[in-house]
Amino acid sequence: MSSPNSLLCFTNCLLPQEDGSLIQKDLWVDQAAGTILDAQKTFYLSRERPTEIIDLGGNILSPGLLDIQLNGAYGFDFSIYEGDDQKYRDGLHLIAQNIVETGVTSILPTVITQEKTLYPKLLDLLKPYTAPKCATLLGWHAEGPFLQIAKRGAHAPPFLLTAPSAFKTFEDVYGAANLADKEDWLMGCTSDTTSGVRMITAAPELDGVMDAISEVTKRGVVFSIGHSIASTDIAAAAVCNGASLITHLFNAMPQLHHRDPSIIGLLGASSSFSYANFGTSTPTSGAFSSGGAPALSRTTSKGSLYKATSEAFDDVATPLGSPVLRPQAETVVGTGKEEREFKRPFYGLIVDGIHIHPNSVRLAYSAYPEGCVLVTDAMKILDPKLKDGIHEWRDGKNFVKEGDKLYLEGTDTLAGSAVTLDKCIRNFVQFTGCTLGEALKCATYNPAKCLGIEGKKGTLRAGADADLTVLSKEGRVLGTWVGGRRAWEVEA
Amino acid sequence: MRLIVREDSAEVGDYIANYIAKRINEFEPTAEKPFVLGLPTGSSPIPTYQALIKLHKAGELSFKHVVTFNMDEYVGLPQDHPESYHTFMFKHFFSHVDIPPTQVNLLDGNAEDLIGECKAYEEKIKKYGGVELFLGGIGEDGHIAFNEPGSSLASRTRIKTLAYDTILANARFFNNDISAVPRMALTVGVGTVLESKEIVVVVTGLRKSLALSKAIEEGVNHLWTLSALQLHPWALIVVDEDATAELHVKTVKYFKSIERVQDEVERTHAELRRRNKNAPKQVGSME
Repeated sequence: MSSPNSLLCFTNCLLPQEDGSLIQKDLWVDQAAGTILDAQKTFYLSRERPTEIIDLGGNILSPGLLDIQLNGAYGFDFSIYEGDDQKYRDGLHLIAQNIVETGVTSILPTVITQEKTLYPKLLDLLKPYTAPKCATLLGWHAEGPFLQIAKRGAHAPPFLLTAPSAFKTFEDVYGAANLADKEDWLMGCTSDTTSGVRMITAAPELDGVMDAISEVTKRGVVFSIGHSIASTDIAAAAVCNGASLITHLFNAMPQLHHRDPSIIGLLGASSSFSYANFGTSTPTSGAFSSGGAPALSRTTSKGSLYKATSEAFDDVATPLGSPVLRPQAETVVGTGKEEREFKRPFYGLIVDGIHIHPNSVRLAYSAYPEGCVLVTDAMKILDPKLKDGIHEWRDGKNFVKEGDKLYLEGTDTLAGSAVTLDKCIRNFVQFTGCTLGEALKCATYNPAKCLGIEGKKGTLRAGADADLTVLSKEGRVLGTWVGGRRAWEVEA
Repeated sequence: MRLIVREDSAEVGDYIANYIAKRINEFEPTAEKPFVLGLPTGSSPIPTYQALIKLHKAGELSFKHVVTFNMDEYVGLPQDHPESYHTFMFKHFFSHVDIPPTQVNLLDGNAEDLIGECKAYEEKIKKYGGVELFLGGIGEDGHIAFNEPGSSLASRTRIKTLAYDTILANARFFNNDISAVPRMALTVGVGTVLESKEIVVVVTGLRKSLALSKAIEEGVNHLWTLSALQLHPWALIVVDEDATAELHVKTVKYFKSIERVQDEVERTHAELRRRNKNAPKQVGSME
């Protein structure tokens, strides 16, 4: 006979799989350990079965959603530190506690470009954080300050930097302790640290940034290409050096040019194409370049004076005369030279229907579904209950919120979004025609894989954290579970 | 022996499930006196399992005091392999009903001492006082459990080499790779099955029709091990129309008449039980 235990069985539900399918199956979790169980092993080896059974009435039981780009919510901005550690921590807790109503159980707090002396403190405060019934704060995402001024979007120009001493500059800005090897970084961290994550969005064409990438990624920090005008060569070289993500694809980057598809073009790269020559920090004679300089320089990174007005809709003018490409050098097979498979980066998509046209969303997803990561890029005013109107931002500036649209007051500059991730999922289904299971994968398994934490988050594998989101078949969030405990439930 | 003919496999499943439910409920099992049920794997019993789960979910049947013994398991296949019989049973039955994991018994095909494992299995069955009802299926060659053609009809639980037919038939579960199909299995013997108080066998589909005819229209024969049922006092075979294709019309008609008689006898016996509590609980087979 089984005695009462801490096991819980979800039944009569559809489980999203890692291949995007939905299958009818039970899910067993251990509430004491806060993890998902291998039901069959529990039954035959531990000789236990759950005492408690929850009938989900045919709804979907998804891994909890992950948002890897969130600037703030519920009135708190991750980028604002007012000199009071406790107040900042309270803000973190507030978001962690409330965001579960949007189905999100893990977030990567994103800090936009700051005055450089603020980084060491801010990032130190953003150590992984878990609390009962709260979403997990995974660590930090520093979006800036090594960004291309021409693609700065809402980032403050005076704070943008280059990295003349490469990784050394990164250490100077972010703080050496914050860029330490993962084990050292997590030292003294009381929370569950197995899924601690750090991420940097930077423009690889900036002085010194390319040289820093391999060192950054070696230490377990995810490098994402963003706010950049990198040419195809430079973008590909960044990927060869370890960049594994593109920050808000289509936004704050050159638009797709067929002869130099730039950052967006990475989605079309073949794994067998030889980028061996890009493994170095400064791309010189890659397959697509001529002479010693990047083949296509629409604009130079230094001293560029483009006036960006919007992250979403500005564009660098295409230079007169189309660039001429040299025929690709013949690839010699089997020379014994190390052949590296080119791995396309993941890419974040803000699917609020504003930052990216639905057709562009579908185009990107069709090109590379496995790399798609849905993000909200939401600002501090994210709050499903907040009304439209003018709201305070920072430095005396205001936001204007119109539905999910968010502008800097008096401009047409899109300043992040106020969309919730569950809405992005529903939009994504509508825009791409994919199934809800496939869309959920882009907000669970894909982001977790991008961060290298797919064994713990974004999955229903045995041993993973029992962070779960219950959704209707239309994609409405009905309930959220964190560590096997109910964290939020829709009001009947 | 009785033969029940139903239209299709779903109806066969419903019939057997209702029959088993009735048997378990009439048995009134308790923790001290559990109902011991023998169980098969394979595609034929799946509708039966589905119907049993439905009865359980409807609150008409509980497995709280049921102890199960499975017929067989591959040797050397990891327990959590998608094609292992552990996986099959968990997926199709155990995970959906309220049976306590401690009351489930399967042969361990990864045991270091396979012979010892088989012996212990037999002893465990005996310790429970034998199997009350053994549910079974058959292969196209008429094998019951993994008692392939040529198996001794007095056999006990043991290591068994799979027949080439069976390996071929099972290759579809292993990406059609014959070399990936396990060559050996542990299985209860024909003798083990015959020793249970009652045997119920499901036979569905045209491909099983020859085996059915060999098992019930010809003599007891170790090349069609199901035919050993002819020696059992309380055996029931439930088949669909397709499976009767090789039977004589006369045979089918005869068994259909038995079904009517059995129904009548059970009805009158239930009446008798209502008046006289001391009348025997089970009527057994009328045949």
